[in-house]
Amino acid sequence: MDRFVTIWHYRVPHTDLVRFWVIASLAISSTFVTALALAGNIDTIYPQLFYFPILYASYFFPRRGIYVAGSCAVAYEAISYYYSFPNLLGMGYATGQGIFFICIGAAVSYFTDKIRTSEARYRSIFEYSQIGIVLFDQNTFAVTLANDQFGAMLGYTAEELVKTPFSHLFFNRDEQRRFYERFGSSEEIVDFETRLATRGREPFYVNLSWSRLNGNLVSCSVIDINTRTQGKEAAEDHAARYRQVTESSPTGIVIIQNMQIIYTNPSFTTFSGYARDDLIGRELSAFVHADDITDFQGYLKQAETPPVPSGKTEFRFLTKTGETKLATLFSTTIKQGGKPALLVNIVDISEREKLKDQIEQDSERRRGVISTVAHELRTPLQPIMGYLNLLMQDPKGFGLTDETKNILDRCLQSVDRERQIINQMLEFSVLDSGKTDLDYSTFSLSALLKNIIETGGYMMKADIAIEIPLDVTFEADQNKIYVVINSMLSNAVNYSKPPRRIKIIYRSSGSDTHHRLAIQDNGVGITGTQLDAIFEPFQLADSEKLSRKYDRIGLSLSIAKKYIQMHGGYISVDSIVSVGSTFTIHIPKIRPKEVVKDGT
Amino acid sequence: MARRIMVVEDDQPILELMEILLRRLGYEPILVMNGLEALEEVKKSPPELILLDIMMTPINGWEILEKLRGEYGQKDLPVLLFTAAPMVQKEVAKLNDPALGILQKPVSFAELSAALQKFLSR
Repeated sequence: MDRFVTIWHYRVPHTDLVRFWVIASLAISSTFVTALALAGNIDTIYPQLFYFPILYASYFFPRRGIYVAGSCAVAYEAISYYYSFPNLLGMGYATGQGIFFICIGAAVSYFTDKIRTSEARYRSIFEYSQIGIVLFDQNTFAVTLANDQFGAMLGYTAEELVKTPFSHLFFNRDEQRRFYERFGSSEEIVDFETRLATRGREPFYVNLSWSRLNGNLVSCSVIDINTRTQGKEAAEDHAARYRQVTESSPTGIVIIQNMQIIYTNPSFTTFSGYARDDLIGRELSAFVHADDITDFQGYLKQAETPPVPSGKTEFRFLTKTGETKLATLFSTTIKQGGKPALLVNIVDISEREKLKDQIEQDSERRRGVISTVAHELRTPLQPIMGYLNLLMQDPKGFGLTDETKNILDRCLQSVDRERQIINQMLEFSVLDSGKTDLDYSTFSLSALLKNIIETGGYMMKADIAIEIPLDVTFEADQNKIYVVINSMLSNAVNYSKPPRRIKIIYRSSGSDTHHRLAIQDNGVGITGTQLDAIFEPFQLADSEKLSRKYDRIGLSLSIAKKYIQMHGGYISVDSIVSVGSTFTIHIPKIRPKEVVKDGT
Repeated sequence: MARRIMVVEDDQPILELMEILLRRLGYEPILVMNGLEALEEVKKSPPELILLDIMMTPINGWEILEKLRGEYGQKDLPVLLFTAAPMVQKEVAKLNDPALGILQKPVSFAELSAALQKFLSR
């Protein structure tokens, strides 16, 4: 550390003061010695004495050294002129010496300055540069010098690295081998990217440039490129992961840029039947069915400007084998190589469509079978029913006893039941196909109910209480509502033992949006687990036991449920086992605009 | 004189039954087993009502009906489609023919009697 003293306005370092004193004393003593020597006629040493202050000054104070040289020249000449006057030769010699002094001062100043600046420059590069610098031996690779930056990169001090072989600082053998190859290949290498190892054996990305100096030394600059490399690595990693996802995606993925396909995944090549090379660079619309091309181009145009395209997203594609495949498209705009591109997902739905058709065909065939079966079952029933009717119509005429008449009556009941079963089966199959329409009309509920009870003879089978205001009217399909209420009453009668009590209650206030008609019985009831099942086709509450006791088939509730759903309503059930069940029909008071055709 | 009712039916047992039932009800049955025969008969002397099966060969009930209403000029002759086939109602509703009805097999004696009375008294 330099210390300073202030002289006049100048802060002068101690070192300079000392040097100034040395120069001054050398100059003064040289003047005295020269004067004494000339006075005593000793002519061996005197002019050379001045070289000391001149060289000294010129070396330490390059620019100001010239003044010292000048002063020394003036002093020498003054003394020489005094003693050699009027000897012209002596005076000339003294003048020459003076000029020579100045030349020496100037020359030393110039070169010292040169050396100083370049040394300062080198020092500043070496010491203060952000770049790591390391010098090593080209034969042994031993580090002879390293700056702090280089040390800091790897977690060492500069001193610690000295004598360590530079080749040992590479991250692994591969990197080391690459370095040896490059090192052997050329005197100078620029931008060699590699990984060094930190003190903790972590990889450290660097860019190396080296050149051989004279002798055995190699100077190597080391630039830290970790941030850049990590960014690149992350980007590559991201891209790799993305590629993996798209490559293994079951849906076709195509990227379009400037109308051309620039990427396609294997799913799309499988879908289209074309190889990747056949697809890249072509327009996607070249693979679209001719009839769909206009729509498809409109779609692409829309897709380029988010939000999501509206309208048609299903297009037919032509495969290499000439097959037509239906696909639905989803598109997103993305950046590919910094430019906008369109990523199109192509989902093959031709299989789905085929399956849909298959299911449609299957159920159509099933309905056809049911129709035929129904026809074939009904036809033989006609003679049985007809002849039984005939006999029963005139029992005396045919000579029937009462017992025979009873037997035949039971046969007739069974035939009638079978007829009903077939009719319900048919009705259900038609309902299932969604081919039934409602025939709306406005009718009185109490009148309908009276009709049902009379026709079904329910008054004879049970004690029926009706709590329905006379003015309630339904806007619905009267025949369907007839069937629904009839099957509810029929159930209530059939699922209970005498004394049967049935209540029919209308529960709906003026503000209610639905008519609510409850039919309550005192029957066997339905357990919780059966509640959901009873509306399913061919389900009987406790079928094994009950079917023996009561004559039931399982379709009436399924049909009732469908009918009510078609009206936009629903049926609810409350039931307590051994106490009874309440079925409630809920129907909108106002005819819904869009009726549910198939309630499943 | 008993009213003449034609039964067009290719099922022998049903045809036999219908003969008995119709006689019992006091009608005169005319029994034919296929459409061509039926049309021939209508040309000769038209009955007062026809019970017409649908699923028959060589021409089915619908075709017979079309010919009757068309080239045979029998626009008001009551025809009851006497069939075991399902979903006939819709087809009938489409035709909007007041002289056309359905008698769904199997039909009971009472239903047959009521339907005949209804269509003959039109």
